[in-house]
Amino acid sequence: MENRPLEYDYTVAKMFMFTTVVLGIVGMLVGVILAFQLAYPEVNTILGEGLAEYTNFSRLRPLHTDAVIFGFTFSGIWATWYYVGQRVLKVSMAESALLMFLGKLHFWLYLVGVAAVVVSLLMGITTSKEYAEFEWPIDIAIVVVWVIWGLGLFGLIGIRREKSLYISIWYYIATFLGIAMLYLFNNMEIPTMLATNAAGESGIGAWYHSVSMYSGTNDALVQWWYGHNAVAFGFTVPIVAMIYYFLPKESGQAIYSYKLSLLSFWGLMFVYLWAGGHHLLYSTVPDWMQTMGSIFSVILILPSWGSAINMLLTMKGEWQQVAASPLIKFMVLGSTFYMFSTLEGPIQAIKSVNAIAHFTDWIVGHVHDGVLGWVGFMIMAALFHMAPRVFKREIYSKSLMATQFWIQTLGVVLYFTSMWIAGITQGMMWRAHDEFGNLAYSFIDTVTVLHPYYTIRGVGGLLYLVGFLMFAYNMYKTMSARPVEESELQSASPMGA
Amino acid sequence: MFHWLEKHPFFFAVGVFLVISFAGLIEILPNFAQASRPVIGTAPYSTLELTGRHVYIKNSCNACHSQLVRPFKSETDRYGHYSLSGEYAYDRPFLWGSKRTGPDLWRVGNYRTTDWHENHMKDPAGVVPGSIMPAYTWMFTNKADVDTAYAEQLTVAQFFSVPYNKPVPMKDGSAKVVKMGNSVAEANALALAEAQVIAADMKDQNVKDAVARGEIPEIVALIAYLNSLK
Amino acid sequence: MGIAEYQAYGYFGLTAFLVFALYSYIYHLYSTDKKDGGHDYENYSNIALNDDISDAPVSPISDDKEK
Repeated sequence: MENRPLEYDYTVAKMFMFTTVVLGIVGMLVGVILAFQLAYPEVNTILGEGLAEYTNFSRLRPLHTDAVIFGFTFSGIWATWYYVGQRVLKVSMAESALLMFLGKLHFWLYLVGVAAVVVSLLMGITTSKEYAEFEWPIDIAIVVVWVIWGLGLFGLIGIRREKSLYISIWYYIATFLGIAMLYLFNNMEIPTMLATNAAGESGIGAWYHSVSMYSGTNDALVQWWYGHNAVAFGFTVPIVAMIYYFLPKESGQAIYSYKLSLLSFWGLMFVYLWAGGHHLLYSTVPDWMQTMGSIFSVILILPSWGSAINMLLTMKGEWQQVAASPLIKFMVLGSTFYMFSTLEGPIQAIKSVNAIAHFTDWIVGHVHDGVLGWVGFMIMAALFHMAPRVFKREIYSKSLMATQFWIQTLGVVLYFTSMWIAGITQGMMWRAHDEFGNLAYSFIDTVTVLHPYYTIRGVGGLLYLVGFLMFAYNMYKTMSARPVEESELQSASPMGA
Repeated sequence: MFHWLEKHPFFFAVGVFLVISFAGLIEILPNFAQASRPVIGTAPYSTLELTGRHVYIKNSCNACHSQLVRPFKSETDRYGHYSLSGEYAYDRPFLWGSKRTGPDLWRVGNYRTTDWHENHMKDPAGVVPGSIMPAYTWMFTNKADVDTAYAEQLTVAQFFSVPYNKPVPMKDGSAKVVKMGNSVAEANALALAEAQVIAADMKDQNVKDAVARGEIPEIVALIAYLNSLK
Repeated sequence: MGIAEYQAYGYFGLTAFLVFALYSYIYHLYSTDKKDGGHDYENYSNIALNDDISDAPVSPISDDKEK
């Protein structure tokens, strides 16, 4: 111990890498099951009539979204934080027993929280608010986990050797603050056990039940301020943090314009929060808020593309690397999907487009080209880059990686194209009138017409899941692959055949 | 100044927080000053209706069904009058949904009956050929949780002054009083009385027997809730 | 004065301030590397590229203490 040179300590990063893979498989598997349930309703009773309550579409749907957001994505965010954080601050977790303890506590409490969420959602204990389904006991646990991460985050920053904070750290800090603010305000609720009746009875009914502090239109406003920005601070901000570190590092290229990255950061911070109103166009929230949501959504293209273009330009003159390395492919296609998704979103937020797109599968498609193409690709790329450094082994198979890349890309393309067609078809059919001014289609007509697209979507999702299983296998085998020399690891990750 | 900020994480974090909280301060907080006021004709949910609303939430019906009629001809033709803000005054949480895999339900009480719901929840494709909605057979056997709904009524009456046991103006000029029990036993009795009315219109013998025994299957509560959406 | 008016003034004032801050930030970013004692922001990219624990920090924390 005494004379060993100081090294980065990746213990906690490894733990979160593990949950990223496991919860990724869970979330995506449930997603594929859901997709096929829509195409073939018999799948709802896949485990028999007796268990239908728990395998039913509606019961599983929150599990899918939460497993992907809070399981896969947040594990990925933390795995990369406990890796990138040390490196760009040039301080090792091994230097502080307290930070190491906080890191491990963070992981284990998180795992307890995940277990509680899975059980409660399967039992149907939910507040119904999307991505905030958890009842107050779990909310409190989540806040505790979050605070512990915050202590670790600012603690590590506090003992850093690098005075300036690298841009990725900015984004991690923003993730911490943003989610904290949003989550607290959206989950303001009063436990019903506090109420007392005229007869003096209290603690009536389920102890975990609560009622929202906000009602009706206000509740919707707060929920979509949260819902939209959970996307901002879960699917955008921390993923941008990842790409600003991993793409330059893997390619050996400095960021094209560091100044642009800083400007985009402030732009994103300011603009994103206004855009939540676009989920409520033509609803009963005040008109000026709807307009505000619409306008800011369009403005949001600027900071989003600022980051994305900056990434693509980082590869300027180095495009042969995209051809040579599957790892770079993941990141470059991820940036491209980010650009695509952040253009599609504002288009959908334009009021007249939204009139057709809202409530349809086009929205589902939009979410998935962002999450599968951008978030998923980036997190997998980050883990691929980390694996050789963390395990001190070369990546098990480069060809498996390349195959996975193409299978998943095909999966994403099938997914969003089918949902795009399905959404616009349905939106147009809902509003169609015949020459006498009567509705041209009954609702069921607009459902049955979607069957082929639902099937294609299911296949697309399945391909992505297959690719993810290949990723999991590749990661697993990497742990026993050929050891690598320390000096090889300056930029490009070593890969086996 | 900027450069200093970039090297001091605490003040940097404060700066980020100010920028991200701006939108919330301007957009969301002030609207709360004007509380969401109910329109005439909007009454709080009765004990059984609220129990049914919990069944609706428990099974995430809102994952596929919206409860928001937008002000377009195609929507008002299909679902009825477009939604008004005040109609949602007693909705905690709101259940607008974000996806219409199935039709909107905000005014489903106007055009569907107890009988229709009973058949449809048992075998959706049998009632609507081509339907991709799964059957909800367990709702016919699971017992509804009236106590929790009652606790919620007490909570909203206590903390948000929701007018239970008080006259609420109706559209025809009359006043309606939505009763809330003074004790758990009374609340259950009120819910059962409502359940008996629903069960009388149903065919399932097991459900009828259960209600006769004084139990309330989930389906009865759910139908009471769906019928209340008008 | 009603809440809506506070809201409007607050919105205008804060937006104007942030626009001002953004433009002065841009000016700062591009002018600082020409000044004495300024910093070339593009150097910070190296924080990621040279991130071994034995690499020298781009702007070591000890710099400050000497001043």
